[in-house]
Amino acid sequence: MNTPDQSPAKSYALSDVRHDQAGFESLVRLYASLKAARFANLEIDMSRVGWFDADMCAPFGAVLYRTGSHVNKVSLVHLQPQVETILSKNGFLSHYGRMPARDKYGTTIPYQRFDAKDDRFFASYVEAKFVQRTELPRMSAGLVKRFRESVFEIFSNAVIHSQSTLGIFSCGQFFPKRNRLDFSVADLGIGIRRNVKEHTSLDLPAHEAIAWATSERNTTKRGPIPGGLGLKLLAEFITLNRGRMQIVSDAGYWSLENGHSHTALLSAPFPGTVVNVEINTADRRSYALTSEVKETDIF
Amino acid sequence: MEKGLIISPYEIVGSPLCVASDDGQKVFERIAGALKGGKSVMVSFRNVSSLTSAFLNAAIGQLYGSFSQEEIRARLKVKDMAQADLALLKRVVDTAKEYFKDPDRFRKAEQAALRGQNA
Repeated sequence: MNTPDQSPAKSYALSDVRHDQAGFESLVRLYASLKAARFANLEIDMSRVGWFDADMCAPFGAVLYRTGSHVNKVSLVHLQPQVETILSKNGFLSHYGRMPARDKYGTTIPYQRFDAKDDRFFASYVEAKFVQRTELPRMSAGLVKRFRESVFEIFSNAVIHSQSTLGIFSCGQFFPKRNRLDFSVADLGIGIRRNVKEHTSLDLPAHEAIAWATSERNTTKRGPIPGGLGLKLLAEFITLNRGRMQIVSDAGYWSLENGHSHTALLSAPFPGTVVNVEINTADRRSYALTSEVKETDIF
Repeated sequence: MEKGLIISPYEIVGSPLCVASDDGQKVFERIAGALKGGKSVMVSFRNVSSLTSAFLNAAIGQLYGSFSQEEIRARLKVKDMAQADLALLKRVVDTAKEYFKDPDRFRKAEQAALRGQNA
């Protein structure tokens, strides 16, 4: 049998990957064409990728990691210079044999893979790569706190629900002129549809399962520790911030913007779940509460 | 009532970032142990900078599977929390009360607690 290094390369083309439904569609199509490969030498032909939103490296990296776990050699070829620059600055291409490039303007939150038990490592990464970075424009203290806690909620959600053994992938990008921060977390777990089916006996299509999981009081959590708040808290924050949130799980796509959600079915499944957020960094809201909560009224 | 015991999540976690469910579990075990021993507990969140629902569900929400609302209200207190964190804790507590209204969940949580298991 050939080893992946000895096999003739098979080429798979990718198209533009933007931080939207069409971008996810590109990635799930790629995964559909890669998922059966075993012991193969696979080249991802990037020649038609003229735009790659950097935070989408998280789901892209998850797809490639899953593919590599099936004993395939994966390489990225024919990158256009502007895409190569973006994917080098955030460290993504370092995972595929290239040297990292200096992030002169300090606008990237690097691509990183974590194990599910790496909660603290993830927390340190967010602190070091986002919160304590002096080159990022000033945001209100309330916004930084809510953003930080939101990404922790996303990570915790992946740890608790995904049962992922291959890891959790994250990446972000700051756009100073557009006052926008994109951040994505992807896992290679069982996905929301299967989680809902196994824990509630509801057999919903993938996009409806995401809508179910983001609705108040619905949770797939069982056992002694309650749950079901993480995604709802995140959705509330995104609505207040006037940002955007997207979830892809299995073949389901769900987005939330201006308080309105939208669902769709993608043409093929993603091998896990992706949660991504688009934060409005010009938000000057204090995030102070309108009514006081007393310590004596909690329990 | 017995003299209160002060429990510090910062000290137990060893970090101002109280975000992981596993870390919440460690805090839960301290609180539950003290309550089972008949103590009153004051949880001081001094020096904690970030909290998640995942941490609080494990640390405090889970208590409603082992103790009655009356016991918790009488013997558990919190302090040194910012308003936003108090609001988050209130949401977690309300969700936990709702979660354990299901008698099947309550029974299973009690059995798990008796076995000293986490799931």
